[in-house]
Amino acid sequence: MTTEHHEAGAHEGLGPRQYVTIFAILTIVTAVELALSYSHIGAVLIPLLLVLSAFKFVVVVAYFMHLRFEPRILNRLFAGGFALASLVLLALISLFWNDLTHPLG
Amino acid sequence: MATAAGTLPQYGTHSGLWSWITTVDHKRIGTMYLVTAFTFFIVGGIEALLIRSQLAVPNGTVIDAELYNQLFSMHALTMIFLAVMPMAAAFFNWMIPLMIGARDVAFPRMNALSYWLYLFGALLLTSSFFFTAPNSGWFAYAPLTEVQYGASQAMDFYALGLLMLGVSSMAASLNFAVTIINMRAPGMTMMRLPVFVWMTLIIAFLLFLALPPLTVGLLELLFDRNFETHFFIPDGGGDPILWQHLFWVFGHPEVYILILPPMGIISEVIPTFSRKPLFGYSAMVFAGIAIGFMSWAVWSHHMFTTGLNPVPRAIFAANTMLIGVPTGIKIFNWLGTMYGGNIKFNTAMLFAVSFIPLFTIGGISGVMHSSPPIDTHHQDTYFVVAHLHYVLVAGAIMGMFAGLYYWFPKMTGRLLNEGLGKWNFWLMFVGVNVTFFPMHFLGVAGMPRRIYTYADGMAWGFWNMTATIGSFTLALGILFFIINVFVTLRKEPNAGDNPWDAPTLEWATSSPPPEHDFDVVPAVRARDPLWYDRDHGIAPAPPTDEPIHMPPPSYYPILLGIGALMLALGPLSSMAVTALGVPVILYSVWGWALEPTH
Amino acid sequence: MAAEAHAAPVHHPTSTGTDNRKLLMWLFLASECLFFGTLISAFLVFKARMAVPPFPHKREITESLYSTLPEKIQEQCATQLANGLRECHGILDIPITSTSTFVLLGSSLAMVLAVYGAQHGRPGMMKAWILITALLGLTFLGFQVYEFRTFGSEGLNLATNQFGASFFVLTGFHGTHVGVGVVYLLSLLAASFRRNGLGPEAGFHVETAGLYWHFVDIVWIVIFTVIYLIPS
Repeated sequence: MTTEHHEAGAHEGLGPRQYVTIFAILTIVTAVELALSYSHIGAVLIPLLLVLSAFKFVVVVAYFMHLRFEPRILNRLFAGGFALASLVLLALISLFWNDLTHPLG
Repeated sequence: MATAAGTLPQYGTHSGLWSWITTVDHKRIGTMYLVTAFTFFIVGGIEALLIRSQLAVPNGTVIDAELYNQLFSMHALTMIFLAVMPMAAAFFNWMIPLMIGARDVAFPRMNALSYWLYLFGALLLTSSFFFTAPNSGWFAYAPLTEVQYGASQAMDFYALGLLMLGVSSMAASLNFAVTIINMRAPGMTMMRLPVFVWMTLIIAFLLFLALPPLTVGLLELLFDRNFETHFFIPDGGGDPILWQHLFWVFGHPEVYILILPPMGIISEVIPTFSRKPLFGYSAMVFAGIAIGFMSWAVWSHHMFTTGLNPVPRAIFAANTMLIGVPTGIKIFNWLGTMYGGNIKFNTAMLFAVSFIPLFTIGGISGVMHSSPPIDTHHQDTYFVVAHLHYVLVAGAIMGMFAGLYYWFPKMTGRLLNEGLGKWNFWLMFVGVNVTFFPMHFLGVAGMPRRIYTYADGMAWGFWNMTATIGSFTLALGILFFIINVFVTLRKEPNAGDNPWDAPTLEWATSSPPPEHDFDVVPAVRARDPLWYDRDHGIAPAPPTDEPIHMPPPSYYPILLGIGALMLALGPLSSMAVTALGVPVILYSVWGWALEPTH
Repeated sequence: MAAEAHAAPVHHPTSTGTDNRKLLMWLFLASECLFFGTLISAFLVFKARMAVPPFPHKREITESLYSTLPEKIQEQCATQLANGLRECHGILDIPITSTSTFVLLGSSLAMVLAVYGAQHGRPGMMKAWILITALLGLTFLGFQVYEFRTFGSEGLNLATNQFGASFFVLTGFHGTHVGVGVVYLLSLLAASFRRNGLGPEAGFHVETAGLYWHFVDIVWIVIFTVIYLIPS
């Protein structure tokens, strides 16, 4: 069993308390998303939901998955792959955009 | 350079079938890939010769329409997935660890697993000939692949076979990406890597990012065929064009996955036999990276005639034209390497140099397709067949043969016979041109692809007969290669460490290398390290007493491969087989995880 | 070794300083972004073309379409509106799925606590939180099974319409990934009861499993928003 203890004050020192805090934030954001989905705020709903989900995504990746504290190369590789995925899939969806905005002709 | 005698184990001391089945040595795995890939190359070649025999004259009677559909579909699938990609994998396996100064890949057992998954997937796909082989073309456009258009399981073989092969490639690409990024010898910075290693890294990224969309498409096809979904069936709200998008989002990066490794190979061969470093190394690397990125932005050029809107069509056309630029940079850099060099035209060099004009021809016809209005005339004609065979046969295959002649001495300790090699080369060179150049004419004369015969009055007979003669010439050339291999293997090993006086690290150890690759991991001071050391009078370091740990052999990779095969066989036979595959997989994974690795 | 406080001892030095296995997991997760991204894109393509109930959210249909529907599905469109159209209620149960989302989110918290325990030499904490993570994952799967069965009994299955096909494929493959994650975690848990537990690299092994687990969670974050929260 590893006996290495991180130095006090080391930036990687996320402890249980901080994790619970992050979890609480994620829960609150989810609750907000839920409330918004029941509300009638019109067309801004979709971008707003996407932004909130993106926020949760980034928080989990950066803190729970520790990416924020990992070597740069790892950050860049994941971010690069993710960016590529997003662009390609955005392109794919937009190729069907006519169908998305004017379904059934 | 002499290797330490006696104390360190030599490659080949472990013998017998079991040692091959349980091997995790990248060199042995590379050999298995090479032999299997070449075997399937012959299979694909026979499929091609049957096709050419049928098309030689109008109203051909060699093959009926049903079998013809299976032949052209399987010819493409075999060549792409069972021959060219695994041949590249053979070279990655053999040479990448050596070129970066490592003793093996990052995950040796996963490396073995990739091979077994390839072998079993290849057997699965090819065994379909006993029933009905896939018959809807290698890109399998929906809805022709759906159950209402054919009662056989052909397209289930297709989907399941490709899924297995996809897992094999996923594992291999992840393995090589980690290896190249993380296991370089001290001093081997990214910009000192041989271009072949860079190309491998780029296609590794392309593979593990491009395979998932294909996986989704294949799974949705399986669901359509077996669970009554309607992803690609219009009669139920589905969209056949979705299949095309999913396929080509993979398919276009795939063709760059096919061509970049051979480009990497000739980027090693040409400098060696020009006795000059590669011209414009940085440009070569960045051009390769640019091609990798841009390959994601062109896929719909395969779909210009499907009714895309004008804006996307224009964007894809422009991107397709642009991707010719980095490719052109590479062409000029190879020429620049040769210019002013002290050139030796042995067989390896002949193959490598011939790649340049031959691939250029394929590239020119490719850029012609990039214009949507012109492509409307080319689509589904032999003009496309001409293009793709120029880049893949006259290009990629010629590049692979350069690699075979170049690296054969490293792998076996023996130099292939140059006399037979010249016959091999010239027959292949004449063969590819006589076979595929006339197809440009046939295409503009209106001959569609995938027809099993044609009428007398079409005036296509002359060029078809020419192409058939060319194809048999090409086959004869390949036969010379096979003869060369058998003749050479009977000789005593006499190549020495570096018969070509080449610059890269694989030549810094014996031919073939010992199991542990290097007695001493080389120190890298520059690009083209062996030339640097030679020119600066630096002698190789003597071996040390440091113990070398190599990963022990394991039977879990082949067992896991068998489990995966069982999963795939279920839908083709009885789901009980799939169910039995699950415990096999669990047992293999647990055994693998708990097995000691040193 | 200060900077390596969280990382387990690496087998041999690597060119980037990151362990090979960790790099492997991150690259694999990048490919999984493509996998789930493609499934979600296909879902979105069909989301815009839904013509036949059952629908995910409330929607109106014409009387003539209503008359062509099988009885079980007609039950969902019982409401007649003043303008002559019929209103079909959405088949998705947002409250239930919100609960399961919360459960999965909680499992991520449990996972980081398990990793913390493993990396700080507290095997008891590690084992407890691994178990809790796995149980929460199973609970999430339980909710999925319940949802699938409910939909099935209301007439929505793979073959019914495009929503059915793309919904079950997307959430089904996600659920499969959760299932694999549960097996992964329980395997680690079982191995931790051996004489020397998970060995000197316990922290590393649990951390790697955690990467996979969190990824499966964030995919669900996207799926929940795209399928459940965003209206048709």
